[in-house]
Amino acid sequence: MGDVTLEHVSKYYDDVTAVDDMNLDIDDGEFICLVGPSGCGKSTTMEMIAGLTIPSEGKVFIGDREVTNLPPKDRGVAMVFQNIALFPHMDVYDNISFGLRLRNYDKEEIERRVERAAEIVQLQGMLERMPDEMSGGQRQRVAIARAIVRNPGVFLMDEPLANLDAKLRVHMRTELQRLHKELDTTIIYVTHDQAEAMTMSDRIAVIDSGQLQQIDPPLVCYNEPSNLFVAGFIGSPSMNFLDGEVTENGFVSTNIDVEFDPADLGVEPGTDITMGIRPEDVYLVGDEALVSNPSRRIEAVTDVLEPMGDEIFVYLKLSETTETNLEDTSGVANDQLLMSVAPDTDVEEDEDVTVVLDRSRVHLFDTETGEAVSHGIETPVQTSGAPGTEAESDD
Amino acid sequence: MSNETPGAGIGSDDEMERGPLGRWVDSAIKNPDRVYRAMFYVAMLFFLVTTLFPFYWLLVLALTPNNLIANMGLVPKGFNPEVFIAMFERVPFHLYMFNSFVLGITTTVLVLLIASLAGYVFGRLRFPGKGVLMLGILAISYFPPAAFLIPLFELFTGNTAISIGMVTISTPDLFNTPAPMVFPFSALFLPLSIFILTTFYGQIPDGLEDAARVEGTTRLGALFRVIVPLSAPGVATAGVLTFISVYNEFFFSFLMNNGEADSWAPIVAGILKYQGQFDTPYNLMAAASIVGVLPVAILVIIAQERIVSGLTAGALKE
Repeated sequence: MGDVTLEHVSKYYDDVTAVDDMNLDIDDGEFICLVGPSGCGKSTTMEMIAGLTIPSEGKVFIGDREVTNLPPKDRGVAMVFQNIALFPHMDVYDNISFGLRLRNYDKEEIERRVERAAEIVQLQGMLERMPDEMSGGQRQRVAIARAIVRNPGVFLMDEPLANLDAKLRVHMRTELQRLHKELDTTIIYVTHDQAEAMTMSDRIAVIDSGQLQQIDPPLVCYNEPSNLFVAGFIGSPSMNFLDGEVTENGFVSTNIDVEFDPADLGVEPGTDITMGIRPEDVYLVGDEALVSNPSRRIEAVTDVLEPMGDEIFVYLKLSETTETNLEDTSGVANDQLLMSVAPDTDVEEDEDVTVVLDRSRVHLFDTETGEAVSHGIETPVQTSGAPGTEAESDD
Repeated sequence: MSNETPGAGIGSDDEMERGPLGRWVDSAIKNPDRVYRAMFYVAMLFFLVTTLFPFYWLLVLALTPNNLIANMGLVPKGFNPEVFIAMFERVPFHLYMFNSFVLGITTTVLVLLIASLAGYVFGRLRFPGKGVLMLGILAISYFPPAAFLIPLFELFTGNTAISIGMVTISTPDLFNTPAPMVFPFSALFLPLSIFILTTFYGQIPDGLEDAARVEGTTRLGALFRVIVPLSAPGVATAGVLTFISVYNEFFFSFLMNNGEADSWAPIVAGILKYQGQFDTPYNLMAAASIVGVLPVAILVIIAQERIVSGLTAGALKE
């Protein structure tokens, strides 16, 4: 009943393509997060599932029914909105029972269901209140109660936590997960906050410029991003990217080289490659024992330190002439590297340090297409360049 | 703004010799609040006199016996409260008032209904030609009603024949029914309501309408269950203004019936009805005018806060 399928769905506004040939297959009971930067088309995708927007092309199925042109009320979906959207002229009881009253449920049934929904979101005793007498978190819970009271096949949540303060957001995140466990209903959740997506969902659908980039469980998106966009979007702070080229001996860039046998990874020497490495996979020399497969040593100078409490982010300058180009938002910077180290590490600003990369955590992307070439290099560093044992590759 | 520290001014101003006018000017400059208050009272008095004096004058005329109405001063020449009973005896004025109410309420309901639909479309949807259409409505609302009179009179008295192919249908004779008044009133007073409601409906957040539609209403259902209740001040403003306009209307009210109470003639005809062949009872007409004005005066007093807020602010926060 609650599986949702999008087949070649596109939405155009005049000249703007909001959603471009989207294919999604969401199973019953799954918790899916649609993530992407602002304006990437994730909200439009959700509105097309809800029926608030009619797709320009393609088909939408909910359960085994085609709903592409059905009005929202006939789709069996419920939605929680970013701005909460409680009806300000109705009290909590009337807000929650709005959909039931429209469907002419009898009075006792409505009462029973509202009580139950209020119990699930812990709103007992507040049913008489008006929305403007409640706090942000309480209103959000009313909105959720309004959504669950109808037992919909699919829940749609459009950034429901975006307007809450940080503490409440983390709390509501847990509540939503508990709710999903309890109800076992399909939840499609739109967010631009990748932390929400990582923590809550069964699968993440990463969307950019109206196109689906990757749909996979959170850790797969994190560890094996299918392209440069996903690699840069998932993870905070973002992955380090360095532009370079593949030679006979491996990856070569201005400041960092990583050795491998291109044949192992199926890369032609001479290909332009962008290498990605997450901050936590860069280690100070001395901690090398932690790294199973370290790269060659890299000389660098520490620039800025950002102590976060549980870790310290260290910005490393790889050459003297570090220039930060604010215009460039691609995240590629050949002479900078962000490293995260344990909070008790003895490190100062403007200090000469030596670092190594965990080669098994190096991601290689085709610079031209952005597609992933390889995730992790398993062969140990060998000057002889002997054939490696095996390499993980999933391009 | 305080004047408590004389001598704290600049230089040796206050040592100068001044006359009474000079001192007054000086105190007015130092303490402008008093001047503003005085100006407020002057302006207030002016408006009160110009608006309330006609009512007082009606009362004077009503209370003066008709044979004494000549060379009137500012006070009634006599005290004749029975006039308020006599006015109902001579002409069934209550029936004329009833007619006015029916016309006013029918028109208001019709206008609010149509203006709500138009306001929804203009305020909440985007479509090509919207600006032109709104301009068209605005332009038509400024046409003088006299321009429509003759064609409408012909239409409503059954003198217009419409040919559809072989069949020719004559329009029904609606003279002396409410229709030839309600339709022109609705058309004339619609633009104002459309503009008021467009502003209000346009300010209701999209999320609320979306929420209502996901919860199970159609667009129309969302309009009447969510958008209209949330725009209550706007709807009240549009409704009250329409009702008052219809209640005050003279042109079509006078021309689209024969002036009899059972022909749906409103109060304007009722007041004129007092004028007989041999006398003109000004006291009865004045009394009828007062009675006729009362309902609207009460309506305005009750609704004035909403009307003011509806016309000026119209802001609604989520």
